[in-house]
Amino acid sequence: MKKKIFITVLCFMFLFSMFSFLYAGKGAEPPPEPPEKPPVIKKVEPPAKKIKNPDTIISAGYGTIQSLDPHRAYDTASGEIVMNMYDALVEFEGPSTEKVIPMLAEKVPSEKNGLIRDGGRTYIFTIRKGIKFHNGAEVTPEDVEYSFERGMVTDQDGGPMWMIFEPLLGVGGSRDKDGNITVDFKDIDNAVEVDGQNVVFHLKDPYPPFLAILTQRWSAVVNKEYMIANGAWDGTEANWKKYNNPAPGTETLYNKAMGTGPYKLDRWEPGVQVSLTRFDGYFRGPADVKNVVVKKVEEWTTRKLMFTAGDIDIVYVDSMHWPEMENLEGVKIYKDLPTLANAAVFYNFDINPEGNRAVWSGNLDGEGIPADFFQDINIRKAFAHCIDHDTYIKDAFLGYAATPAHPIVEGLPYRDPNVPIRKYDLGKAKEYFMKAWGGEVWEKGFKLTIMYNTGNEKREIACQMIEENVESLNPKFQIDIQNVDWGIYLNNMVQKKCPLFVIGWVADYPDPHNFVYPYQHSEGTFAEWQSYHNPEVDSLIEDGIRTVDPAKRKDIYYKLAGLYYEDIPGFQISQALDRIHVRDWLSGYYWNPVRDDQMYFYMYKKGY
Amino acid sequence: MNFLNYIIRRLLLLIVVLIGVTVVIFILMALFSPAQRASAFITDIKQFGDIDSIIRTYGLDKPVYIQYFNWLKQIFQGNFGWSTTVSRPVIDAFKFFFPNTLELALFSAPIIILVGIWIGSLSAVHRDKPVDHFTRVLAIVGWSLPTFWFGLILLMIFYGYFQGLFPPEALGYKAHTFVNSAEFVRYTRINSIDALLNGELWIFVDAIRHLVLPVITLTVVQIALVMRIMRSSMLEAMGKGYVLTARAKGAAWKTVIKKHARRNALIPVVTVSGWLFALMMAGVVITETIFNRKGLGWWWARAATQLDIPSVLMAVLFNGILFVVTNLIVDILYAYIDPRVRLG
Repeated sequence: MKKKIFITVLCFMFLFSMFSFLYAGKGAEPPPEPPEKPPVIKKVEPPAKKIKNPDTIISAGYGTIQSLDPHRAYDTASGEIVMNMYDALVEFEGPSTEKVIPMLAEKVPSEKNGLIRDGGRTYIFTIRKGIKFHNGAEVTPEDVEYSFERGMVTDQDGGPMWMIFEPLLGVGGSRDKDGNITVDFKDIDNAVEVDGQNVVFHLKDPYPPFLAILTQRWSAVVNKEYMIANGAWDGTEANWKKYNNPAPGTETLYNKAMGTGPYKLDRWEPGVQVSLTRFDGYFRGPADVKNVVVKKVEEWTTRKLMFTAGDIDIVYVDSMHWPEMENLEGVKIYKDLPTLANAAVFYNFDINPEGNRAVWSGNLDGEGIPADFFQDINIRKAFAHCIDHDTYIKDAFLGYAATPAHPIVEGLPYRDPNVPIRKYDLGKAKEYFMKAWGGEVWEKGFKLTIMYNTGNEKREIACQMIEENVESLNPKFQIDIQNVDWGIYLNNMVQKKCPLFVIGWVADYPDPHNFVYPYQHSEGTFAEWQSYHNPEVDSLIEDGIRTVDPAKRKDIYYKLAGLYYEDIPGFQISQALDRIHVRDWLSGYYWNPVRDDQMYFYMYKKGY
Repeated sequence: MNFLNYIIRRLLLLIVVLIGVTVVIFILMALFSPAQRASAFITDIKQFGDIDSIIRTYGLDKPVYIQYFNWLKQIFQGNFGWSTTVSRPVIDAFKFFFPNTLELALFSAPIIILVGIWIGSLSAVHRDKPVDHFTRVLAIVGWSLPTFWFGLILLMIFYGYFQGLFPPEALGYKAHTFVNSAEFVRYTRINSIDALLNGELWIFVDAIRHLVLPVITLTVVQIALVMRIMRSSMLEAMGKGYVLTARAKGAAWKTVIKKHARRNALIPVVTVSGWLFALMMAGVVITETIFNRKGLGWWWARAATQLDIPSVLMAVLFNGILFVVTNLIVDILYAYIDPRVRLG
């Protein structure tokens, strides 16, 4: 054994001495002789920058695609893919959210050109000839009619078709809350009709955002023949109810596509990636890049490494990671892109006390709150003065957001820029708390629980800020913060169990109606959860959507903004600014806040 | 005959196990309100208006036992439900993700087991020598390394620093495109094996390149267990009378180690190895997440956090079968290794 150790030590010594010798030898090399002649400086061309996968754009994010059916795809991840494979009758021009240009239609209808008639109740679109679907079939007016009717006939749970039902039939969908079909097929059939090369839409009432709705992916045109051949509704009244609300995954275009868009579906591997290939027969000319791959890479470090290695061209970056993307070589960042999305704090005017621990004792006895706690406007004002907006934007958004005054955010038409924001002022907050409930609140104190969904840091910061500032005013004020699962959070909001909650809205189409309805109308998503009801507000919102006169609409939405400030059913906390991160070999990008960010691949070119 | 009876008995036990675990899942599920479970179908606040309809469609408001029998009925019809986590039928998702996990387990498990046995034996034979100290320290370090941290470090070095030497995911872009083309036949859906069966060496090399880091991660972290058990088992075996007898009879030390000590020491290692393989098949969540290799672990971990009950039930069924079958195989191997063990 000793012999073995001796030999091992000897080997190590030998290797070490060899290394030392080589190193020493290197160091002992004589300095090179100075050249006799001045060196000839050759002009060397810099090596061409290498582009990985030059004919493919690879994008990575972490959204889950739910369906590729344009009449079902309402979530962002699905919509990002769908919009590359389909076209609508019209589209917003480039980055504009106001100027509409024709796509499958020859012209954009207007009252001036006579294609909007009956005071905004009839829209006429002449369908362009010669536009092809991916299977080579030509787009016909019958395809357009079928597309809209099929969308309404299927009207799948969780889908976007309410946006088509509202203007055409004046209802929010095809079923009531018990699942019974409440619309008549004839109404669907009569709403969209073919007249020669024209498609005529008959609206129930004037609906100013109708054109904006038609620009979006739920207004995509599908190939009727292909649909029927693949088991979709056959376009007749017979058995139409059978096709209503199909189970997830059974919708005809769940994993298929037959549109006219710049890209065709190559392959979708749910949960993993989707691959698209260029449609060479695209009517606006083929896309510059041949293939597209959209991957799901959830782990941020992995996604970032793949992006910096050049294996990904477009990467989704959460705002918390934006600073680490600055000054990276080969990366292009588009900054300060205004989103049509906001978030707010909402008060509950009639809290459901049944089995609700968020109200604690359920009485104004210092150990809880009564169900109508927030009906006192002084309480609402006091809470609103307890958020330091500047600090919130800095902490939650690293400064990349603005504080809107009311639900009609910057970028939407008819936005009143002069509505004030209740600023952070603990003095005023104290004043209002002392007035609230005839001084009882200040005297007895209160206790309530506010929730946010686990993992949502922005909501967490807002809740913590409210807790700290409110509690600092009076030791008898107690706020408990709970983080709960998304499902529990949603459930508590819809059951009206949250005394106050934080949530946001993203535009479906760029019109103030899309924001004021959920925020302020008593039947709107959020207002209903809050039990907020102001008949004047409801009436104004209903007038606003039926008025085509821009001046009158402006007046209405300005009034609504003012009423939001006066009534204070909640208060706005953020309108985020976005960023897009792409490799510097990609060009052509432009921001359109209505479109789903960076994922419209037709605009890109790949190369230096 | 006894042996056959034994297998049949164990397989019948499997049915009881499966019913037991699925009943437990359904009882646990009842702790969540129908709306909470239906919210798994909702990704956007705007879809919440359809919650009642979703509850009705899936019968989430019915008594638990009715839901259980409905589920059983569907299972016998081959319908395992819909996975909201990956937007596809559960059975399709299983067929898709299973080969990815199997490939990782097939490459990692033999390395972990064989190298673990070898190092464990080496360590035992050289007890309290530098080799022993070194391997024991290595085992402790490996066992203590957080998989998440270690995997990311490997990725940063061998993918980030060395310019894409060992990339994440299962295949590179070109290879992935090729294996999904008509030119490539997916016999097993395991990339490396299919590549060989198709005679596409470049795909095989690509698949291996993508396997290197996850396999190293799993090996370094998991090898300690096999090694430690092998070492202690081997030490025990080396102290047994039959080893001393063999030595006394003049058998060569190597022969004694190989034929007498090691073979007997393998019995507990077989149990651990079986469980190790089963655990890997049940899902290597972190490794699959870091290296973006979409497999069973990745899927089921997300399903559990998103209340995707049909996927969770699939996980329970699969794991139940896997562990019962693994135990059965381990028992059969026992009988092979140790003739004293009789099944039945």
